[in-house]
Amino acid sequence: MKLVRAELLKLFTTHLWWIMLVVVLSYLTLSLGLVIGFAGLEQNGVSVFPARDTPEFQRVAWEQSISGSILVAILGATMMTTEFRYQTITSTFLTTPRRARVVAAKLGAGVLVGLIFGLAILVLFAVGIVPAVLLSGGDLLITEGGIPRILGGVLAALVLYTLFGIGIGALLRNQIAAIVTVAVWMFVLEPIVNAIPQLQVVGAWTPAGAARSLTNSGVDVGQMGLDYLLPAWGGALVLLGYAAVFGLLASATTLRRDIT
Amino acid sequence: MSAIEISQLAKSFGPVKAVDGVSFTVEAGTITGYLGPNGAGKTTTLRCLLGLVTADAGTALVNGVPYPQLKQPLAAVGAVLEATNFHPGRTAINHLRILCTAAGLPQQRAAEALEQVGLADVASKRVSGFSMGMRQRLGLAGALIGHPEVFILDEPANGLDPSGIQWLRGFLKHLAHERGAAVLVSSHVLAEVEQTVDNVVIIAKGRLVRQGTLAELTRNGDAPLRVRSLDPQTLGPALERAGGAVEPLDDGALRVRGLAAERVGEVVLAEQVVLTELVQERTDLQRVFLELTEETS
Repeated sequence: MKLVRAELLKLFTTHLWWIMLVVVLSYLTLSLGLVIGFAGLEQNGVSVFPARDTPEFQRVAWEQSISGSILVAILGATMMTTEFRYQTITSTFLTTPRRARVVAAKLGAGVLVGLIFGLAILVLFAVGIVPAVLLSGGDLLITEGGIPRILGGVLAALVLYTLFGIGIGALLRNQIAAIVTVAVWMFVLEPIVNAIPQLQVVGAWTPAGAARSLTNSGVDVGQMGLDYLLPAWGGALVLLGYAAVFGLLASATTLRRDIT
Repeated sequence: MSAIEISQLAKSFGPVKAVDGVSFTVEAGTITGYLGPNGAGKTTTLRCLLGLVTADAGTALVNGVPYPQLKQPLAAVGAVLEATNFHPGRTAINHLRILCTAAGLPQQRAAEALEQVGLADVASKRVSGFSMGMRQRLGLAGALIGHPEVFILDEPANGLDPSGIQWLRGFLKHLAHERGAAVLVSSHVLAEVEQTVDNVVIIAKGRLVRQGTLAELTRNGDAPLRVRSLDPQTLGPALERAGGAVEPLDDGALRVRGLAAERVGEVVLAEQVVLTELVQERTDLQRVFLELTEETS
């Protein structure tokens, strides 16, 4: 527990965390604005985005919040790789020579960091969605219509993505390599395997597919079918599995290396 | 049981034997200087001792156990490695608070340790604005935080100004001779530690070349004299007749072995030559160290 507190102290005594928080919230404000702005848009008489007074709108809007996951994954990767970049890993390992404990403590701190970011993001979305729904005369969904499932799913996904980032960071050690890997993985690989039907078998098992299954409310936006996804508990296990596998792999390989 | 016990330690990086069968011990209450030119294997030895680098062979023990098996590492060993191991955006006091938290030490130790190394007034300043010397002091504060009995310092004088070096000398002596700590301090500059250490271990190219007490290694008995006069042609043979081994040097001076300085003086007086220089050449320690440094550079 003291190691988890030390890890949180490490994060909160440098600037990065609030810079990332500002970036996440700005980015999501933009995408939330688009969802609200384009709500009810029709093209040739076909509804493209659900209107603001529909339950679908609320589900689609809340689901957008999961796109903060890329940034918490990068934050997670940075939490680990900063230690190697500034060689603070030396004093970390001198204080805690059993290196697997350091990884475990970082994952523990990652749970809290993911929760804090998740809650901040959900508050931001509430500030946007609630007035949008009420002003357009819709009924605000709180405990029904799949909303609790989405909110819980977003929180879980953000926590697990933070851990995913920490795992990658522990495995790669190099900050730039870790961030590029996370970005390529999440911006390039995952969209491809989740979009192409033949690859969706794989896609369901990617972190993105797993995260989608957590928030899957059954609303289909666009042409993409979501039937290929795992059940929510399966998705959570898959995400947890990634963090665990990377963490264990890192403890057994890269973190054993000499610190010179 | 010695505070530090290194036995037949070996470590290679690829084809390079960084440390090759090094053995020595450091006892409580003494300061041991671990000397050698840059690249001799000093840092690798210390990192093996601290569990940061895994040795290929041999053992390196602190208080009888390998470092990673210490129950409370910071309470047993204070280590200062390079002065660059800080996050530049973090303040000095926060760096130490993190150590306290992770080691389960009371938070006030952070401020106390900063006080001890004279950094109390920059406690809330970020490390990015610190000079090398301040970073060295901050590193030392981190080493003091758990009240350890063993100190391992890698080139702690690097980046310190002359007054900082003076302060460091006093501080190390205080730790070892008054508080009874075992201190192992590495350096590539003999003069930095010569006045501080009790024992000396010299390493070059990964191998131990000399070890002993400072007194043993600086005994002047067989150190040659350097004699320069306006008339070496007269003085040289005269010194030989007096029993000295005389070796003319390129610069016109004579290197004389086997004669004490006062005997040389008597010969000079008897021969009525004008003497311009009479000095004892480097001590054994200085000579060994210089030879090693020149060889490898």
